Amino acid sequence: MKLPYSLFSRRAFLNSLIGGWVAALGAAFISPLVKFIVPPTREPDQVSAPLADFKDMAPHTVKGFAWGNKPGLLKKTEEGGFIAFVGVCTHLDCNVSFVAEQRRFYCACHEGWYDENGLNIAGPPPSPLRRLAVSIEGDTLIIKKQA
Amino acid sequence: MNVLRAWIEERLGLSAVTLFLEKKEVPRHKHTFLYYTGSSILLFLGIQIVTGVLLAFYYQPTLAEANASVVRIMTEMPLGWLVRSVHSWSATFMIAIVFVHLLGIAFTKAYRKPREATWVTGVMLLGASLAFGFTGYLLPWDELSLAATKVGTNLPKAIPVFGAWLTQVMRAGEDVTGDTLSRFFIAHVSVLPLAILAFLGVHLFLVQRHGMSVPHEVERKGVKTPGLPFWPNFAFREAGVWLVLLGLLITVAVVAAPGIGPQADLMAPAPEGIKPEWYFLFMFQMLKLFPARVLGLNGELVAVLIMMAGMAALLLIPFIDNRPAERKGKIITGLAWAGLAYAVGMSIWSLL
Repeated sequence: MKLPYSLFSRRAFLNSLIGGWVAALGAAFISPLVKFIVPPTREPDQVSAPLADFKDMAPHTVKGFAWGNKPGLLKKTEEGGFIAFVGVCTHLDCNVSFVAEQRRFYCACHEGWYDENGLNIAGPPPSPLRRLAVSIEGDTLIIKKQA
Repeated sequence: MNVLRAWIEERLGLSAVTLFLEKKEVPRHKHTFLYYTGSSILLFLGIQIVTGVLLAFYYQPTLAEANASVVRIMTEMPLGWLVRSVHSWSATFMIAIVFVHLLGIAFTKAYRKPREATWVTGVMLLGASLAFGFTGYLLPWDELSLAATKVGTNLPKAIPVFGAWLTQVMRAGEDVTGDTLSRFFIAHVSVLPLAILAFLGVHLFLVQRHGMSVPHEVERKGVKTPGLPFWPNFAFREAGVWLVLLGLLITVAVVAAPGIGPQADLMAPAPEGIKPEWYFLFMFQMLKLFPARVLGLNGELVAVLIMMAGMAALLLIPFIDNRPAERKGKIITGLAWAGLAYAVGMSIWSLL
């Protein structure tokens, strides 16, 4: 079918061509700027610490260590082993503390509670504390991301 | 003098502006006091700019120095405690009056045609003001401000698709660190001021272009009280209001100067009793009350989505209630009251 007149005037066609070109150019300029805004993240693959610092902990006590920019929490278990957590509340990212008398982790921001194994038991936290893998090599304690 | 005036007039053509101001009238009715809220916000904005520049002379936005430099401003700099106190209290006054301004306009339906764009720029200004408060809260870098910032910047994470990216943009990475502090500082002293001045320019221009809105109930009664000439009658009254507010501000700032907590430690547990600024309390309380899971969904996501829906509704009020001016709009009035009652109630609850 042949239309009696064009749906698209030459002017409209050229305008959208130039507009599209300008938009593409703008995007090309802006994308590197957007990329610049977020720096690379630096979560460690593993951290190590001398075992001597943690050896004398009593069972059911917790000691802190630095997991990159976040606090890590190392807990001595009943059997004498270690388990480690990222000490950051899974609700809204506040740092948690260990309440020794109650053997529970507590987040003061919105009153979230975790049991001593990091399981969320009360308040708003949606999931357990993040676990890290602990191993001992000679006299060094090695804490890694859990596989 | 006249030569100088003529010289300036020829080059700038300011007579159009002075003529406009000479002719400008402010309507007189029982809601006239609402017209003072806008200019009072400008007063506090001006105070924020002046005291903010002064504070920036000595403030150092680094991990090591931020907290110490605020302590130094308060203890060593001549009247530094007062400058910081005025900055902090003036922010509170400004936001309080912003809320009065907003509610006044919602109740009198002043956002209706042709003033939709004025309302939208106003909501942008509200957003910028709250962003000023949020970024400024971190700068003293004490325990409370760190914990509040962690929570605040974590909220967008719950939003699907781009939420995680937004959190990274706000934090300068996965965690709140010294980079976050630099970022908040530059937002507070450069990005937000540019944004607020741009929106303010459009807002004020639109207010002048459309003239002051008169509530329909006043217009309907048809009692024609002559308007108040803007110059000098209204301007002098305004000056009186400013003086009272200024006196109130200085008094409060002297009597109740804000303190500063111990320097923030990225590794320390969150302190007891963390609280955001008073104007975020109702959201804080809502987050605290929301359970981990709601109807099988992440509770945090639901809470954030409700907040976003609320903000979108606020922004779009003129398009939701686009009825002609003679309709009363009882639903919007009711919703405004409900929103106010909700915010006040939740805020008080969070303080108990």
